[in-house]
Amino acid sequence: MKKKVLLMGASGSGKTSMRSLIFSNNPASLTSRLGATIDVEQNHVRFLGDLILNLWDCGGQDSFMDSYLSTQRSTIFQHVWVLIYVFEVGARDAAKDAEYYRDCLDALQKYSPDAAVFLLVHKMDLVVGEKSAVLERRTRELQAESGSVAVTVFGTSIYDETLYKAWSHIVHTIIPNAAVLSKHLTTFARACSATEAILFERTTFLVIATSSSPDGPDGFDLSAARYERTSELIKALKHSCTRMREEFHALEMELPEFTAVLDGMTKNTYVLLIVHDPTIETAALKINIRLARPKFEELQSDSVLA
Amino acid sequence: MATATATKSNGPPPTSFDNLQRTKILLLGQRGSGKTSIQQVLFNDVPPKQTFYLEPTSRAVKHRYDTVIPLEIWDCPGNTSPDTLGASLADFSSIIFVIDIQDSYQQPVARMLDFFAAAYQENPGATLEVFVHKAESLAEDYKIENFRHIQQRVIDELFDASPEYEQMPVNFHLTSVYDHSIREAFSRVLHKLIDSLPYLEDLLNVFCSNSQASKAFLFDVKSRLYVATDESPVDTGMHNLCCDYVRTLSAFGPLYMSASVNADSRSFYPSAAVSLAQGTTLTYHLITPQLALLAMLHPGVFEERRGLLEYNVVFFREGVQEIALVERDARSGNL
Ligand SMILES: Nc1nc2c(ncn2[C@@H]2O[C@H](COP(=O)(O)OP(=O)(O)OP(=O)(O)O)[C@@H](O)[C@H]2O)c(=O)[nH]1
Ligand SMILES: Nc1nc2c(ncn2[C@@H]2O[C@H](COP(=O)(O)OP(=O)(O)OP(=O)(O)O)[C@@H](O)[C@H]2O)c(=O)[nH]1
Ligand SMILES: [Mg+2]
Ligand SMILES: [Mg+2]
Repeated sequence: MKKKVLLMGASGSGKTSMRSLIFSNNPASLTSRLGATIDVEQNHVRFLGDLILNLWDCGGQDSFMDSYLSTQRSTIFQHVWVLIYVFEVGARDAAKDAEYYRDCLDALQKYSPDAAVFLLVHKMDLVVGEKSAVLERRTRELQAESGSVAVTVFGTSIYDETLYKAWSHIVHTIIPNAAVLSKHLTTFARACSATEAILFERTTFLVIATSSSPDGPDGFDLSAARYERTSELIKALKHSCTRMREEFHALEMELPEFTAVLDGMTKNTYVLLIVHDPTIETAALKINIRLARPKFEELQSDSVLA
Repeated sequence: MATATATKSNGPPPTSFDNLQRTKILLLGQRGSGKTSIQQVLFNDVPPKQTFYLEPTSRAVKHRYDTVIPLEIWDCPGNTSPDTLGASLADFSSIIFVIDIQDSYQQPVARMLDFFAAAYQENPGATLEVFVHKAESLAEDYKIENFRHIQQRVIDELFDASPEYEQMPVNFHLTSVYDHSIREAFSRVLHKLIDSLPYLEDLLNVFCSNSQASKAFLFDVKSRLYVATDESPVDTGMHNLCCDYVRTLSAFGPLYMSASVNADSRSFYPSAAVSLAQGTTLTYHLITPQLALLAMLHPGVFEERRGLLEYNVVFFREGVQEIALVERDARSGNL
């Protein structure tokens, strides 16, 4: 099953950079070498099982934007599941940005009225001073510009975990029956005496499902940014393995506060088990993961076909 | 070595290196060459990009850092001369001169030679190090060419100044705070200052042969410098991976730590293992509160001979702790 994702926004706002970080495992430092995208670069990313993300990275220079909105209008805006629109936080020409955005939204309403819309206020690392205040103001402005269309706004930067937070949220809405996966993950976590179990997609390390709500399991007081920080950290470690022509496989840790095992779950996923019970050994967790594999392979294909 | 600053403490044995005689390292170089950046990135966890906002240094700042030996690193202003330093060059075990690879090097090299010549007179045992810095800013070929050029120039000028300087042991390193080259270079500087290095290396060699490890490092966790390694050669890629691994583990801990759950960490030594596809397991064992053992193992050893591995780690830990005690006693004047 293919799902079309439109990635739009002004030239230089950072669309191709985020794509190369998340989907190609490139480091942020190399994004400055990216050239402007000419017209549309299409990518197929195999996500879970049969789910394929069909990512349209739309070059943002005015001439391209004008053609998306005129001659290419139906080609671009039909069959869209998700529109991700990127706004550079310190954009020089915010008025022009806003105008193109409204035009795109109009086209989307006409050709794909059910598409979900995500707005990324990007390059937040460049904000001097109070980031949350800037983000709040931009969020209000963008919501006003979106009129009656429901939008979700995230502040992002390629230099920290916020990018993973936004993209995890976005792909989560694309996965059919993500709730079923979460439910089984909860059962699995309980069977392992784990505080929490988290399912990641294998190449992007985006979070697909978690056993507990982001507030954390009852009785625990865990960092709110833990999922996206984990994505970022493991992604960086994977990258350093690649630089050595090695491939990351699995990780286990026994720390004073908790035990953790990160291992392949299905062909497309990794699972992270966090256990605060000091009597549980990593070897037992690894066996449990092995035993759960067939069930999750099955679930995953079900959830995609559903 | 001068012992004027060492004070003997009475009462209970010190739990840190306070009041002990510290090994001093001098950081010199032209204004803006990157001295403060190096100190902050290595010892204060400052992200490399943030060094852009550092203020110029206006007076020498002494930074203490405790690893296998207690260090005192002097970060100096760009215009420091042997006369304005405010200390005798004889007090320093190591002198690092930082040269910006993109600068014209006539002036820095001349100043550096003044310092090195003065230090060599006062304390021929001091190690003299040149960091050709900001290396990442140049393309590979160009970088190597500049590095060779600077090196040749220094050697020529030393010889021209006095044939006696031919023996002066000057070491050159290509460094950048944007990759792990600064860690590798500083580690190598540090090794020359650790009197107990041969004992640590012996322990690592024994660990490697008993555990069938192909490589082992003893890392200082916070700075991610390695204080010793076994006798097999250091592969830069492997070194970089180890640095990243230590960073990952340090950052991971706080994420799932629960403020509402108390852990008894008094007698617990954290450990971790990452397995790689091509049949290697990279293990991590905390050895002392500051130091961790990283080893590349055959996965067979890790999976099937875990007991042996853990035994070897305990043996290694006891050895390192003993060395640390001897080091401390020597510095507090008990020996
Ligand atoms: N500071 C900062 N710079 C970023 C960030 N993301 C991307 N950039 C930089 O922004 C520049 C432009 O990025 P691109 O990804 O090529 O922009 P684009 O949106 O694909 O542009 P077009 O293809 O022309 O539409 C690059 O130099 C990136 O390094 C970010 O989060 N923070
Ligand atoms: N490209 C690059 N820039 C660096 C590197 N290290 C430091 N810098 C930059 O060099 C500039 C000066 O760095 P400082 O650390 O303040 O230099 P300093 O030698 O302490 O300068 P003074 O205290 O004035 O003598 C900063 O903008 C740093 O970001 C490096 O490895 N590569
Ligand atoms: Mg682009
Ligand atoms: Mg300085």
